[in-house]
Amino acid sequence: MKPNQEIEFSNALEQNIDLIHYFMGKSSDVIVRELLLPCKLRCVLFYLDGMVDKQALQDNVVTPLLERSPENNVSIHSLEERFINVSEVAKVQSIETALDQMISGGVLFLMDKANYGLIIPLPGWEDRGITESQTQTTVRGPQNSFTETLRTNTTQVRRIVKDTRVRISTVKVGKLTKTDIAIMYIKGLADEDLIKQLHERLQSISVDRILEGEYLEELLSKNKQWTLFPTSFNSDRPDSIAAGILEGKIALFVDGTPFVLLVPSFFTDFIQSADDYYQPYIYSSAIRILRYISLFICMLAPSVYIALTTYHQDMLPTQLLLSLAAQREGVPFPAFVEALIMEIAFEILREAGLRMPRTIGQAVSIVGTIVIGQAAVEAGIVSAVMVIVVAITAISSFVLPAYTMSLTTRLIRFGFMGFAAMFGAYGLTIGILILVVHLCSLQSYGFPYMSPIAPYLQGEQSDAILRFPYRNLRKKESRS
Amino acid sequence: MKCISVKTVKYVSFFILCFIFAALLSSCWSRMELNDLSVILALGIDTVDDEYEVTVQVVDPSQMSKNRASDRSPAISFSERASTVFEAVRKITTKTSRKLYFSHLRLLLFDEKTAAKGIKDPLELLFRDHEVRPDFFIAVARNVTTKDILTFVTPTEVLPAMDLDKSLKISEKAWAPTAAINVVDILQILMKDGMEPVLTGLTLIGDREKGKKSDNVKQPLSLAEYQYLGLGVFREERLLGWLNESNSKAYSYITNRVTSTIATAKCPQSKKDFVIEVTNTHTKIIPLLKENKPFIQLLIHVEGTADEIQCTINMKQSASLQELEKIGSASFENILMEGVKKVQNSYGVDIFGFGEAFHRKYPKLWKDWKEDWNDTFKQLPVEIIMDFHLNKVGKILSPIDKEPGKKE
Repeated sequence: MKPNQEIEFSNALEQNIDLIHYFMGKSSDVIVRELLLPCKLRCVLFYLDGMVDKQALQDNVVTPLLERSPENNVSIHSLEERFINVSEVAKVQSIETALDQMISGGVLFLMDKANYGLIIPLPGWEDRGITESQTQTTVRGPQNSFTETLRTNTTQVRRIVKDTRVRISTVKVGKLTKTDIAIMYIKGLADEDLIKQLHERLQSISVDRILEGEYLEELLSKNKQWTLFPTSFNSDRPDSIAAGILEGKIALFVDGTPFVLLVPSFFTDFIQSADDYYQPYIYSSAIRILRYISLFICMLAPSVYIALTTYHQDMLPTQLLLSLAAQREGVPFPAFVEALIMEIAFEILREAGLRMPRTIGQAVSIVGTIVIGQAAVEAGIVSAVMVIVVAITAISSFVLPAYTMSLTTRLIRFGFMGFAAMFGAYGLTIGILILVVHLCSLQSYGFPYMSPIAPYLQGEQSDAILRFPYRNLRKKESRS
Repeated sequence: MKCISVKTVKYVSFFILCFIFAALLSSCWSRMELNDLSVILALGIDTVDDEYEVTVQVVDPSQMSKNRASDRSPAISFSERASTVFEAVRKITTKTSRKLYFSHLRLLLFDEKTAAKGIKDPLELLFRDHEVRPDFFIAVARNVTTKDILTFVTPTEVLPAMDLDKSLKISEKAWAPTAAINVVDILQILMKDGMEPVLTGLTLIGDREKGKKSDNVKQPLSLAEYQYLGLGVFREERLLGWLNESNSKAYSYITNRVTSTIATAKCPQSKKDFVIEVTNTHTKIIPLLKENKPFIQLLIHVEGTADEIQCTINMKQSASLQELEKIGSASFENILMEGVKKVQNSYGVDIFGFGEAFHRKYPKLWKDWKEDWNDTFKQLPVEIIMDFHLNKVGKILSPIDKEPGKKE
């Protein structure tokens, strides 16, 4: 029942207190601290318990006010100037603004006979602290990761890119969550139009909540293009995000999650890992080739197996065919069904392993190995080769550094299996064609997804598929 | 109902079209699970009472796995008679539960009767059928039926066809008298002017009936063995007769089929032998005209090492090596010349491809010779120019002797 017209503070303290209670209700974490200043004026501090640094509040606000403020000639203005020892203090006139600020860790200071309040931001809550990245681990290079606190996160990137052209602007999105979203970029490197667009689109989002970057990822993608592929890269590594903005990308920090988005993102970004830049380039390039191989294995291994064993037995070497045939003796299902059973069994195991409490996670892996590894083969339900194929597929999917990309390949795999079961290698070719056409028509925030491969950009090849030595890496700086 | 957007319709119809095209354009489309196939590894064609008797050897896959029941044979043979090969093959389905699968055919055998009657007809199916991959070898069963060979238990490999196939390949590489002729070679030769085919011979030695039992391989010395033996000379598609080991060797050298082999030669001043291991050889057939008559020069380059020197000779002197070289060269020339003469005199068919060489060099004159080339071939003068080198003598110099270097 919020009126459109903003309600402003009045001179009467009691009335103001009532108003705040009216809006906030009697929540147990709303702390109202009444002070009687030496000048006999009453004032009130409103804050949310747990959101405010109480020690700082005591030392910098309460003590000076109670012990050092003069006994006469006191106005709210003079108090603000001389006795509130906090660096940023803002005046508020409307109750809504005041409450918004209070909710995100501010202290509202109201005084008798003053028709405005002061917001003293003293945010202080229990924080997880900076820990090692759990999702994108590297052998070498920085080990810190983002936390759930927005400012800590932006600061971590700032500390890497110490340039005056780094810009951060913050937008609140979500009617109920009022989540802070920070847009970080380097002015001159990032695409101005895209920055403008992002601002516009962020402001036009009308949802209740933004709990994670994925909300933004889905809400921001422009023309509702349908795709399984991730079009924005996310990472909880400050160095990856810093590298991204140095390449002219735009980082989107969402308060409350350690995962930061980078837009626009291209296909090659998902195959690269921060480790690539901290290791000798020949090794990094070799590892990247390995990742591409795993990408294809992950997508195609079961389907190639199906195609070869059910349509193209003539393409296998004779000895291999005979040993495959020997394994398939007595297996009751067609290769496709066999593969489907095993792949689904594996996905169930993986999902179970993810969601289980860590203490019983081990039970899952034991059951998994015994059930799908051994018993199924010995019972003659599946062939031993199929277990090998599923295992290599699964392990390959773990090689991809970006989890979002491995999700995609896991899903696409089933499509390919269907194509292979229906049309063999011919079907696979059609599937790959469709995939390539789709990837080439895909855009990430207006930029072609497959760039710099398609369209082919000569200058950008130095860090596309392989990583060239640093002396050959293109200097982005010179473009601006 | 809500109006569906044009874009959705476009997407959906795109995918439907994809599926329709995929289904319509898939051409030969057959799905076969591995356990519905009988993989044919060897095919034998005999002639019995003017009909073909076709024998196929297929694999029992359950016998190829690690935990197999040992009392079953890993290979199964079926045979059936009909007037055409294909008919016989299809008839075999009345005896087996699986589809016969031709793509992995390793070896095709003809018996002598079929070979004498002509191999083009039975080969026709194997050239034409889409399932057959043209990479199998062809051999002629000598003095036995192909059925005997395909029902016999081989000593080394579990699968007889694999044993025969590998043995042929290995022996071609290391033993000059064997020539592994595959189906593409035959097809090319049959279609060429001025060259006639040969096929390697395969026979069984020992007790044939006992060789068909698994007892055959239950002791170190098999009761029956197979052996690749000599080359069969064909005129067009018909078998004329056989070349012996030495003559077969000549064929292999002249047609550049030798990778590595050995040759023996007589020692100087004694009756013993020494061995030349040929490591590199190349032959060039040079067609020439002498007084408007065709004339062939064979330029034969052979490099080898002296091995197993049974002679009493001091190899520390370089002259001895030259002496061996000289003898070796002469013995080579002799073998080759004899081989050519034998083919010219006994069979009169140009298996070496001399006519082919003339055809390439003198296409206009060839038109006149083409008709009665085999008659010309009989009289064709052949000159052999040897380029023979012995490079090494192995790890020791002179043969082992109590007083090395004292003799001579």
